[in-house]
Amino acid sequence: MTEIVEFLHYLSIALVVGVNSVAVGIGEGITGAAAIEAIHIQPKAKNDIQTTAILGMALVETAAITGISIAIILLLGTRQADKTIFLGLSELGIALAICLSGFTIGIVSAWPSSQACLAIARQPFSGKRLLRFMLITQSMIQTPVIFSFIIAIFIKNQSLSANTIAESLRLIASGLCIGLGSIGPGIGLGQFGGQACNGIGINRKSYGKIFSFTLISEAIIETPIIFALVTALILITTQASTLLQGIGMIAAATSIGIGTIGPGIGSGKAAAAACKQIAKNPAIYSTLAKVSMFAQGMIDTAAIYALIISLSLIIFG
Amino acid sequence: MKGLELFEEKFWRPLSYFGLTHHFFNINYSTVVYTWIVIGILITILIPIYIILQRKPGLIHFIVTSFINYFVDLSKQSLGFFSLTHFTFVTAIFTFIALCNSISLLPWMEEPTKDLNTTLALGIISFLYIQFYSIKTNGLKAYVKEYFHPFFIMFPLNVVGKLASVISLSFRLFGNIFGGVIIAKIYFGAIEGSWLTEIFGIPLGLAITSFFGLFEGFLQAFVFTMLTITYLSTAVAKKSKTPTKSGEAA
Repeated sequence: MTEIVEFLHYLSIALVVGVNSVAVGIGEGITGAAAIEAIHIQPKAKNDIQTTAILGMALVETAAITGISIAIILLLGTRQADKTIFLGLSELGIALAICLSGFTIGIVSAWPSSQACLAIARQPFSGKRLLRFMLITQSMIQTPVIFSFIIAIFIKNQSLSANTIAESLRLIASGLCIGLGSIGPGIGLGQFGGQACNGIGINRKSYGKIFSFTLISEAIIETPIIFALVTALILITTQASTLLQGIGMIAAATSIGIGTIGPGIGSGKAAAAACKQIAKNPAIYSTLAKVSMFAQGMIDTAAIYALIISLSLIIFG
Repeated sequence: MKGLELFEEKFWRPLSYFGLTHHFFNINYSTVVYTWIVIGILITILIPIYIILQRKPGLIHFIVTSFINYFVDLSKQSLGFFSLTHFTFVTAIFTFIALCNSISLLPWMEEPTKDLNTTLALGIISFLYIQFYSIKTNGLKAYVKEYFHPFFIMFPLNVVGKLASVISLSFRLFGNIFGGVIIAKIYFGAIEGSWLTEIFGIPLGLAITSFFGLFEGFLQAFVFTMLTITYLSTAVAKKSKTPTKSGEAA
């Protein structure tokens, strides 16, 4: 039994660091390649492009930093006497939360920064503006990582007191919920952010309109993550007394987790398409924004169905 | 809902004398008190502004008129026509939610919108308003017909689609504000315990509070308002003789 516990413990630590580092490596590669291409296109804007690429890479690294800090907490914060099979299982929940969100966000958050570098090559005189815009979009993309970090800390605090298999299942469900829930919206946010930076590169006069559209759209695309966070927090605060309840909680987490993937990607696609058209034709901004927001509201409905089902699984399950 | 009491809330049980002690009859009095404080602040700001606006133009005159003009333009562009009723409704909702979300910047205050009851009430208000004007514009017959739109079997789906707008509006606002409150609480919990971290951690704490209070709060209030206008604009649009719009238009 001790071998299994040790295996689970060190597996979670390794996964948390390893998976996130792979994704961040890929993401920084994408940004760097785009920056080199942009300098090749417009060598005179090399200072602005360099600054953008470096700041972009620093933000992409958030996922890796989260992974390593969780790994250090797991490594140093667990005493030998506390190690039970329930603790080992609960730590799998932490691994799921950090790995799934970190892997997605690590790759996805490179899209806005690479598009911003290319856009500066096209519009060298609005380099500072594009840099500011990219910082805003990228820091919004990092939200799922921060949410997963919070959930992981909660799971870590509760894993010491878990003494039944149902409690461990509950903590795994909480991690699975936020981990799966950040995949779809993460991809949607990345697509939209890339398209928005690209749009400013196409037409720099549409900056003001794209800026206000970005703030609203990103808030709507993020909604499924908020639903997943609410479910994960409810899972953290409730009790699971029987094994059946624990299994029901896993089902609830899967429901909201998979239910957010489609709406997240779809909502991002709709907003990105609207953003492309706004860049080409800023005069009809209000119509485009209205249609896009209506579409996003309809797309989010699917995530709400998943939320209702998972909440009823938790409460009546 | 039993799971939502993440932090211990103080409840008032007004009907417990008569034996009604279920969660349904509890009143979360911190929410009620802070909502009344928000209303009081709004009134104490608005009455002097009303007096100032009747005098000669100045800085406050300019700020208020640009705020009003922005919302006039917004409702005109989104609805396609100007209506004083819709404009006042939308502006009032925005002002109230924005102040509710950012009230925690004042000391000893908590957001009323971190409670699901407040946001659900706001969602239901905007839903009922939209349904009322939908009936008023197109008549009761066209409104009922919308539910059976493609064919009869779609009725349950249409009902759920309409009700989903309430949940979409209220849970979006609740989740964002609640998440912000939790993040601020975790941060302040993390820095306490040593006077050094408490002193040097304060600036970042202020930054977190103002980010979630001002930026996120105003953004979410604006999203709530924009979605209300969008739903309203589809509800009050004059239908052509052969309705082609989907009945799911919630």
